Amino acid sequence: MRIASRLFLSLSLLCAAASVAHADEPASPEAASTEPAPAFDPIEPVNRATFALNDVIDMIIVNPLVSLWNGVLPQPVRQGVSNVFDNLDDVYAGVNHVLQGSPSTAGADFGRVIVNTTVGVGGLFDVGTKVGLKKTYGDFGQTLGVWGFSTGPYVVLPLIGPSTLRDTSGRAVRVVTDARNLLPSNTSYALMGTEYLATRADAKSNENLVAASSLDRYVFVRNLYLQRRAMLVKTGKDIAAGKAQ
Amino acid sequence: MKRALQSVFGLAFGILLFVNTSTLHAETVAPEELVRRLAADVTDAVRKDPELQNPASPKIADIVGRLIVPRFDFQRITQFAMGRNWAKATPAEQKEIVDQFGRLLTRTYSNAIASLKELDIEVKGTKIITANADVTVKTQMIGRPQPVAIDYSLINGPAGWKVYDVTVEGISLIAAYREEFGTLVSSSGVSGLIDVLKKKNGA
Repeated sequence: MRIASRLFLSLSLLCAAASVAHADEPASPEAASTEPAPAFDPIEPVNRATFALNDVIDMIIVNPLVSLWNGVLPQPVRQGVSNVFDNLDDVYAGVNHVLQGSPSTAGADFGRVIVNTTVGVGGLFDVGTKVGLKKTYGDFGQTLGVWGFSTGPYVVLPLIGPSTLRDTSGRAVRVVTDARNLLPSNTSYALMGTEYLATRADAKSNENLVAASSLDRYVFVRNLYLQRRAMLVKTGKDIAAGKAQ
Repeated sequence: MKRALQSVFGLAFGILLFVNTSTLHAETVAPEELVRRLAADVTDAVRKDPELQNPASPKIADIVGRLIVPRFDFQRITQFAMGRNWAKATPAEQKEIVDQFGRLLTRTYSNAIASLKELDIEVKGTKIITANADVTVKTQMIGRPQPVAIDYSLINGPAGWKVYDVTVEGISLIAAYREEFGTLVSSSGVSGLIDVLKKKNGA
């Protein structure tokens, strides 16, 4: 759930390049002058409906909660909450970097978890970054991409937002293996809800930027998402091949 | 900045006119220096003037117009974002699209200026795509919990180096708009695209 929401939500700023066929290719210098294939979106009408539904849910439920969240909690507290969830994410980033064949990156991820959980008081403070253990993004959808799976069709998930068949599979693995499943279900749901809200609150200014700068927001968000995911897969492959960092 | 850039080039061209090998130096240094100054000028201005830290300040448009716009090649940004649809537009339509799209970009991204108060941009290096013609300057924006990678693509034209694409964490501005423009042109034509841009700009 965390990875999912984080992604998407953080998606706002982030998030496409091109079609399934080209999604995993490195961006060429000539990218600017060549025509990319259109995004692979065979169920676009369904996706657009879900996209509109998500907007309605945002308007009625999420946005008021985000305003409340931002209004009640001071920035350092909000940052602390995000850091705690990020710390849990680093565990999964580490697992994924092992699966992707990047053991040294995984080592740094686990090092971050150890430092942030202990010195960083249960993950409230990101001490890892300060001591030179860089945060590196890693999730199961990305791992599938590094292994050579193409993105599959683009899908918009209720509440969560942009995804692809591949990334939804990755997200499912994350949800099933999430350590929070071991907690009593009420606690686990409360944590998921908090994480969702924290992520959405983080992403709000980016979402506003996307809304202000896009002409057809559905197309824009899809493009940003696919570009972002293609870049993460490329980065994962580069690290595994020893070409980066 | 433009003046500084021109003098860099003036120097390069004036002194090195007969020393071809030395121009190699100018071409690798200039774009990086342009990006560095672009970042420094804007962050300095925002830090010195508290008014600029308010996203609603009318002064922001002035800073954007003076420090940022001259370093961007909106003609080329638009042309690349249009892709093959560029040729479908008449010269008058092309001019209109460049104008409206430039306004959309400056207006929406001006909102981000205020947040530069606590951010710094570090130049990490330059990737030469075509020597003396097309380069990508890699930077990192620091000051947030995690650094953000921002790449500036620059092209060397008659007016010197100018930015023609910005890539944030792997997301290219041109690529993002190309799909939108393509969708709009195929559904409602070039004039439809112009209408949507105008409406978005409130004109």
